[in-house]
Amino acid sequence: MTQFKTKHGYEGLLIVIEGTDGSGKSTQLELLKKYLQAQSYGVMVSEWKTSRLIADVIDDAKDRNLLNATTFSLLYAADFADRLENQIIPALKSGFIVLLDRYYYTALARDVVRGQDIEWVKNLYDYAPEPDLVFYLDMPVDVLLKRIIGTTGLDFYESGRDVGFSTDFYKSFEIYQKKCLEQYNAMKSEYNFKSIDGTKPIKEIHNIMNEEVQKILDSGVLY
Amino acid sequence: MPKFNENHNYKGTLVCVEGIDGSGKSTQLALLRDWLKEIGQDVIFTEWNSSELISQTTKLAKKKNMLSPRTFSLLHAVDFADRLQQVIAPALKAGFIVLADRYAYTAFARDVARGVDSDWVREVYNFAIKPDLAIYFDIDPKDAMERICSNRAPKFYEAGMDLKLSNDPYESYIIFQSRVIKEYKKMVDEYGLVKLDALDSIHSKQVAIRTMLKDVLKAKGVDYDAV
Repeated sequence: MTQFKTKHGYEGLLIVIEGTDGSGKSTQLELLKKYLQAQSYGVMVSEWKTSRLIADVIDDAKDRNLLNATTFSLLYAADFADRLENQIIPALKSGFIVLLDRYYYTALARDVVRGQDIEWVKNLYDYAPEPDLVFYLDMPVDVLLKRIIGTTGLDFYESGRDVGFSTDFYKSFEIYQKKCLEQYNAMKSEYNFKSIDGTKPIKEIHNIMNEEVQKILDSGVLY
Repeated sequence: MPKFNENHNYKGTLVCVEGIDGSGKSTQLALLRDWLKEIGQDVIFTEWNSSELISQTTKLAKKKNMLSPRTFSLLHAVDFADRLQQVIAPALKAGFIVLADRYAYTAFARDVARGVDSDWVREVYNFAIKPDLAIYFDIDPKDAMERICSNRAPKFYEAGMDLKLSNDPYESYIIFQSRVIKEYKKMVDEYGLVKLDALDSIHSKQVAIRTMLKDVLKAKGVDYDAV
């Protein structure tokens, strides 16, 4: 078997699960983590918008509707930079498998839907290491809408209400999520997503992911 | 996408002052503000890292020394974007004279001195509005240090201690601020910053600034003859 080489040049592996809200990312991340830990690998998980420095500011600003499209983009970029430099890169350097719930593709999708220039957004994240694997959980919009409404309910920003697509909550939500999906679809080939049908049973999706990850591990890259 | 090198078409006038701490820019801006109010102009003042949204977080993070150069840069960009859209742009649209104590050039000077890529940070700020008048107060770092450190040591980030240039804050300050000044000097040509010698008298600098501002206002057709 040919030796797998990491795309970022660090010791560890960088694996991303992407998808819109309600696509099942967290569930799969948890399963993948357990699967890898059972094989004695060091696993570190990092989720979108969780830096101790900035995450609270974002939540607070959202609560008070203080954000415009530019500050929205920049705050998320700051959160990302903080996590990347304080958690992700140190973990990669010491040989961990880093599992990420969302990566900068999320920012590209959301910010562009909010009207930002795509090149400007790309520049914000152009220093980010390239992942070794990106799984994308592909969900048709109607299934997605039902899932979100049935679980967390409609959130102001997740419904793109700040963008002003529609004053009708459901309509705004539908337009926003559709536009996000369009952005994700456009990124599939550019960023080499392993696209997985998100409507498949949890177990089946998990097996597909395991197989892809196992291929890399079997090359002995982490030995 | 608005480009940072294009003139704006707002009724108002944007003036900013730049330079390292101790260069006397805030004094000059205060004098200018008082004068403009005196002659009946609508004036608004805004300073670096003061937005409601983020400035407290940035200050706290600075206190704990937990910022990487890139996070430092992005947090200041958040602050700037917030003030630009909440304060600066509306005031310009309403016809105010906006006085900014530091502007995007501060980020270009400090962040690049911290090792952030120069093109990257310029692209981050490309939504900024080009000022009608941007003044740079040029000072030697030794002179600036004498002024600000007469009763205190240089602060952690001000001295660039995060870059581990030297364990001595005074020495680190000189090395770091020299880099900042080098970046400012490049911008004199790149962005047409007007350079003033910080060691000139307060009076002569103020005279020079008022003369320049009058020319700008005249060119924009603003009536200040009520003086």
